[in-house]
Amino acid sequence: MNIVVCVKQVPDSTEVKINPETGHLIRAGVPSIINPYDHYALQAALELKAKHNFKVTLVSMGPPQAKSVVQMGMALGADEGILLSDMAFAGSDTWSTSYALAKAIKKIGKVDMILAGMQAIDGDTAQTGPGVAQQLGIPQITFCEQVEVDGRRVIARKQIDGGYEVLEARPPVLLTMIMTKDYTPRYPSFLAVSASLKKPFHVWSAADVGAEAHFLGLKGSPTQVSRIYPPPQREKAAMFSGSGQEGAGKILEIMRSEHFVE
Amino acid sequence: MASMDAISRNLMLDSLKEYAKRRIPYDLIRELDEKNEFPAEILKEMYQHDTLGLHLLMVPAEYGGVSGGTFDIYRVCEQLARIDLGIATGVFATFLGTDPLNVGGTEEQKEKWLKRIAGENLLVAYGATEADAGSDLVNLRTRAEHVVKNGKIVGYNVTGNKQWISNGGVADLYTILALAPGGPSWFLVERNMEGFSPNKHEDKHGIRLSNTAGLSLDNVYVPAENLIGMEEGKGLLQAQAVFGYTRVMVAAFGLGAGEEALEQAIRYSQQRIQGGGPLSEKQGYTHKLIVPNYVRMEGARSYIEYTSQRLDSGEHGLQTEGAIAKYGASEWGNKAADDAIQALGGYGYTKDFPVEKIKRDIKICCIYEGTSEVLEMTIYRGRWQEHLKSRGRYYLDMADRLDQVHATEPKAGAHAAALGLRALAAVLEECRVQKLTRHQHVTFKLGKLICAAETAAIFSTAAAAPKYSETVRFDREGWQAMARVFAREAALNTALEGLALVLGAAEQAGNLADAVNIEAVQAEQKGLIADMDLVAAKLKQTFKAK
Repeated sequence: MNIVVCVKQVPDSTEVKINPETGHLIRAGVPSIINPYDHYALQAALELKAKHNFKVTLVSMGPPQAKSVVQMGMALGADEGILLSDMAFAGSDTWSTSYALAKAIKKIGKVDMILAGMQAIDGDTAQTGPGVAQQLGIPQITFCEQVEVDGRRVIARKQIDGGYEVLEARPPVLLTMIMTKDYTPRYPSFLAVSASLKKPFHVWSAADVGAEAHFLGLKGSPTQVSRIYPPPQREKAAMFSGSGQEGAGKILEIMRSEHFVE
Repeated sequence: MASMDAISRNLMLDSLKEYAKRRIPYDLIRELDEKNEFPAEILKEMYQHDTLGLHLLMVPAEYGGVSGGTFDIYRVCEQLARIDLGIATGVFATFLGTDPLNVGGTEEQKEKWLKRIAGENLLVAYGATEADAGSDLVNLRTRAEHVVKNGKIVGYNVTGNKQWISNGGVADLYTILALAPGGPSWFLVERNMEGFSPNKHEDKHGIRLSNTAGLSLDNVYVPAENLIGMEEGKGLLQAQAVFGYTRVMVAAFGLGAGEEALEQAIRYSQQRIQGGGPLSEKQGYTHKLIVPNYVRMEGARSYIEYTSQRLDSGEHGLQTEGAIAKYGASEWGNKAADDAIQALGGYGYTKDFPVEKIKRDIKICCIYEGTSEVLEMTIYRGRWQEHLKSRGRYYLDMADRLDQVHATEPKAGAHAAALGLRALAAVLEECRVQKLTRHQHVTFKLGKLICAAETAAIFSTAAAAPKYSETVRFDREGWQAMARVFAREAALNTALEGLALVLGAAEQAGNLADAVNIEAVQAEQKGLIADMDLVAAKLKQTFKAK
């Protein structure tokens, strides 16, 4: 089987703050990392590769420095890396990004399984993975916590409220992965990083994948971001301990003092 | 060796950070520090090829390594120091111990030993220091006597004692400096050789996770093929050949540990409310304890990078540059860590917070691999020669280059840096005319002034460049403000301390006050507070409270 893993470089959200006046992200000095969900998806692919000797190809879209996440994936064991990098892609929303990624995957040729993180931590939309499946016209299973392959069957355990479902699909299929301890991400050794430089890595432009310009970038994106802002800080909740009855008594007292009830 | 590409280097750094996060939490470091215990298991694990393979950085690819250049090694050393300077020292000892082989080994020796170091993950130690031979290796007492068989030298009997050897008690392989009949020479000594024994692990003030021990060599038979370079008498040259480069590594330790202490203080200061607001908002706090220190550390960083890049481009030696890099980074780092304790107040004085340990650890940077005083002398000697050779033009020419930098980018402090260099040239010239370098104090103090004035020049040049190094974590506005603050301080200190130095030693003062252009240096201080305000704001923005 040929597996494609979609990976994205994102700012480390634990370090990002928003300038309250301009609404822009303050990115100075903020390190870039592989999107954590994608890191789990990559680990899932690498485990399938170890078990079944599948080929793993990484696809990312971003500025030239996003090569970093692709090289990291190759250092961890992926066979090949592709970076979609072109000014034409800049500002693409999830629809445009899905379109470009799908074009790249088509160019790769025979692909049996596509793995992607459930969502990226910078946008939190969870749309790009499913969008790629739609663009390619293939089935998708989202929120997967585990994936197995048995012959030509892909078996995925999908997380649902209060439990999980086990679903089966025939390739080609796209799965989006959540973060579970089954696929705890690894980091490459120095030797592996050095060796990854010898693996095939390609930078593809919009023209290389045959993507049409009017579907790309800010202009080609149906979604426009009008404003980004931090949610207003909530006041700290008062916590009461004790029995339910005692707690209810205290709440009633507050409601009376605030004149919600007489 | 040229450095690798930035992406590969940063991936390696990320792996190191992640490993430390998972395997070496502060609680463990604190426990090992208390017990004065060397974490053998962690060091071995860090050397495993599929975990990190940290030691491979020093080994060329043809012998199984990853061919790290000086810039790569500086970055890894900085990161190690941020984790723990004791562990960093254990790794550094392997790097240092491998150096005589890298520099002076024959092809066969490299083939055999570098491959073994890489493949078997050997911990290596560098055995030079003795009771009477520290910074000055001339009084070396360890002897290597010929063992002759059938008229041919087949080996050496090595006898003597070494002290304060990092990894001394735990290494698998030792490079030992001994006096052979042909002069000081390096020998490869294996731990299991008969007559070789390590002494007790020292109870040290800091870097307590680093094993430090003496070595006893009692008639240890070392085969002739273990003489590095297969030629006697090359030992001191081989040791000196790498000083530029090994001192960059210790400089990176001072930088990493010093900045780490400050960054912890900056994060803390945003949460600690005193007098109605966070400490991070108070100039009395930031402009004394944080800003000047951070600015000096960034100055040290630029000088380290400048030296690393020159070494990576194939220049050899650079002993004076290595000395400037190490002296600045370790002295300023030590001061920064001390002020970080002050910045955390009572918390900083307890072992619950890492700054207390960093302060104890970082002191070693002012001692090993050339004490600060030896470096003051090295810096003075190197640049005094340049001053004489150029008939006093050395720093004047450098100042002229800074003028050009200022003409293209007036916001990077190049004007102040040029004033500092011209003041330095005037002080050096006055010392020459009045023969003041007969006073050792004058020469050492000149070493100190040279370090700051030159660092200011390099920092301003870097801050004026159109593109910044991958290591700069601030925007252009912030980093240039740092360069201005640094250059102002360096110019003021060079002029005032230089003047005081000459006045204290000379028969007559002459018109040195005019020569150092004291008025212009003072006028250049305008805008200092506003720049410090800006730097404080940028630091707060970059190192947010957790």
